[in-house]
Amino acid sequence: MKLDNEKLHAGMTVALLGLILLVLALADLVKEDRLFSETENRILAQKPEWSVESALSGEFEEAYESYVTDQFVSRDTWVMLKTRMDILFQKKLIGGVYLGDEGYLIEQHLPEDYDQKLVDQRLDQLETFIERYPEAKVMLVPTADNILTDKLPAFAVFYDQKQLLAQVKERIGEQRVIDVFPILTEHREEQIYYKTDHHWTTLGAYYGYLAWTEAVGYWPRSFDPQDLETVSDSFLGTLHSRINLPMEGDKIQIFPRTTSRRVEILYDYEKEADSFYEPSYLETKNQYGYFLDDNHGIVEITTGYSAGGKELFLIKDSYANTIIPLLAPHYEKIYVLDLRYYNGSLFTLMEQYVTHNKVSVLVLYNCIHFLEDFAYR
Amino acid sequence: MVFSSIPFLFRFLPVFMILYFVAPRRMRNIILFLGSLIFYAWGEPVYVLLMLFSTFSDYLHGCLIGACKNRNVARGLLISSIVINLGILGFFKYSDFLIGTVNQLLGCNIPLLNLPLPIGISFYTFQTMSYTIDCYRGEVKIQKNILDFGVYVVMFPQLIAGPIVKYRDVQEQLHERKTDIADINYGCRRFIVGLAKKVLLANNLGLLWTEISGAGPETTTVLGAWLGVLAFAFQIYFDFSGYSDMAIGLGAILGFHFPENFNYPYMAASITDFWRRWHISLSSWFKEYVYVPLGGNRRGLPRQLLNILIVWMLTGIWHGAGWNFLLWGLWFALWLILEKLVLLRIFKALPRMVGRLYTWLIVLVSWVLFAVESGSGAFAYLRIMFGQTAAGLYNDGTLFILLEYGVLLIIAAVAATPLVHRVTERMYRAAQGGMMAVRRVLEKLLLSLLLLASIAYVVEASYNPFLYFRF
Repeated sequence: MKLDNEKLHAGMTVALLGLILLVLALADLVKEDRLFSETENRILAQKPEWSVESALSGEFEEAYESYVTDQFVSRDTWVMLKTRMDILFQKKLIGGVYLGDEGYLIEQHLPEDYDQKLVDQRLDQLETFIERYPEAKVMLVPTADNILTDKLPAFAVFYDQKQLLAQVKERIGEQRVIDVFPILTEHREEQIYYKTDHHWTTLGAYYGYLAWTEAVGYWPRSFDPQDLETVSDSFLGTLHSRINLPMEGDKIQIFPRTTSRRVEILYDYEKEADSFYEPSYLETKNQYGYFLDDNHGIVEITTGYSAGGKELFLIKDSYANTIIPLLAPHYEKIYVLDLRYYNGSLFTLMEQYVTHNKVSVLVLYNCIHFLEDFAYR
Repeated sequence: MVFSSIPFLFRFLPVFMILYFVAPRRMRNIILFLGSLIFYAWGEPVYVLLMLFSTFSDYLHGCLIGACKNRNVARGLLISSIVINLGILGFFKYSDFLIGTVNQLLGCNIPLLNLPLPIGISFYTFQTMSYTIDCYRGEVKIQKNILDFGVYVVMFPQLIAGPIVKYRDVQEQLHERKTDIADINYGCRRFIVGLAKKVLLANNLGLLWTEISGAGPETTTVLGAWLGVLAFAFQIYFDFSGYSDMAIGLGAILGFHFPENFNYPYMAASITDFWRRWHISLSSWFKEYVYVPLGGNRRGLPRQLLNILIVWMLTGIWHGAGWNFLLWGLWFALWLILEKLVLLRIFKALPRMVGRLYTWLIVLVSWVLFAVESGSGAFAYLRIMFGQTAAGLYNDGTLFILLEYGVLLIIAAVAATPLVHRVTERMYRAAQGGMMAVRRVLEKLLLSLLLLASIAYVVEASYNPFLYFRF
């Protein structure tokens, strides 16, 4: 009798485990394939075409395996379960993102990924640029890992952007470099970076703006962080996409004064707008696109301010999109160039815009984007 | 096909198991045979013919040896079988290695064949050789039924990464096997535990090894180098023993009793002991079919030491066609010989812990030779382990990695001891009355959780190699 009882329980265990496999297998057969995973932000593998050659070479089998793995039933839940277990194992680095204190996700940049050869290459180009436009200013903004060091996990390694900045200063002269390290460090306890995204916040950009006014000798306009207006509190940025755990959304904020004047903006010579902000992006995953309509190669802005004919030519990355509305009152026109979307000759283009001595030139990148993207013909 | 993959777990396995258990008993071997061919052909659509040829050849040799009255002719048949097996193995596994060596020695330029290695060839050729040798020795009954013999060679649980099952271990089960629910339960348990060892421990620790071995020697610290090789030691153990667990488990579900392949090798107190616990089916194969026929320990000490040297050179080269594997085998031969001569006597007088530490040291060094395939790379790595690096003892990067993988390393270390096994055994034995119910619930809960967790890691598998596939 006792033995039978034992057998009964053995049978129940087998049935349970078999059922798990069987139910999942059946559920997997009836579910619909997806083209794209929102949470992982990537295109999923699709059913491969069968042919004798592809089957004999093993190509078909391999593609089929990626296909069933990518399309496996409730894949998102499995991926989340795995991430949770990684965290249970006390992992602090997932998908190249540090899990920092206070819920900060901080992108990892390893020193070995930015070797001296790359740095020299960028500095050579910057030097050539400065020879051509000696009055230009350069602002290289550190990324979160260099400022929020106290929020990084213990012993977390990061690429030291301070020494990069020192090299830049030595190469092109200290007076041309706008150093935002001190002011950002001073305000590191405020939310100057998003918790779920790799960009700085509008508040961070505001401190960058203060450093800029001091460097160029302008009187800062009265933007007050007290007045910051929240336009969204559900922003889950690029770093969140790599972790995929439920998190509280970041706030997207603007200074109300930046909407007080009617601006005229021309994106890539074709699309017009009358505001720095594009609310439709707040309905999408890419809420940071709210600022200056995401990424464009060339943007021409007529600010609506009278500034004695002063204009700005700005070479920049996406970090600049939050600071441009703050720069606007100081210029009548701002020309914005994103080198990633421009294939022509830089100097030829600039000759069209920098036509008189009231046009200032500014290069604004975060340090990492500068190393990755600052290249021109 | 790989056990730890979605196509296997959610396509092949359910369909196969349903067919196998629904079909009448006499159909089971044909289902197992055909299912195994599909399983193999999924990864090796062409080489499946090679495997069938090898199977047929040894089946035929077995029959002929059995029918042959003349001992000399039988001997000739045995030699023919061995030559064919080793010829296939040699051609597909070692020809490029030989060509490369000849090119280097003579400075000529014979083109390499660049043949992909047929999966599992080292395993199934050794299995079929055990059959013909035992036929010749009269230790097994000749298998007249080609289907039963085919099942022995190609059955998918142990086909591609062992354990190397000797024919006589399963000869009765090939024809007549009982599966009762206790066996199936045991098999499920072994399979899930093996799967978890593979995808939760081996794959994740593999990431640690890849990270450290991938960094340049200039940036590797002493502590980092030790962590790296420790991670590799655990990776290869949980990878391979996990695979063996899955094979033994699947075998048990189908009614086969495969031999054990591992017995807590990292608890060994000497290298001699280690090789009684590591990849047992391979070392016992070499012992039975090479070491003993060469005279073993019956022809005096010098001959015995030579035999050890030969066996471990072969063991090394079995693992891969490369000088590093030969070196790896010789490294073990060296310590086995030293142990025979003096060390074992010394260790007997010392606490067991000393022997264990010594074994760990020798084995870790061996894994460097094994894992870093270029000789110069291995020596550079060993130099770092023993202090010759500009990167220092440790740095922030090393400490970060240590914290990042600390929990996993501790779990792995505990899982490499018999502790978990002992605790569960005690629970099983002590479980009475109320405890019995707790145990039964706990068993179901833990196994389900392990299975679900493993599936999660299989679905999100950025890293999922099987190390022993290459052999």
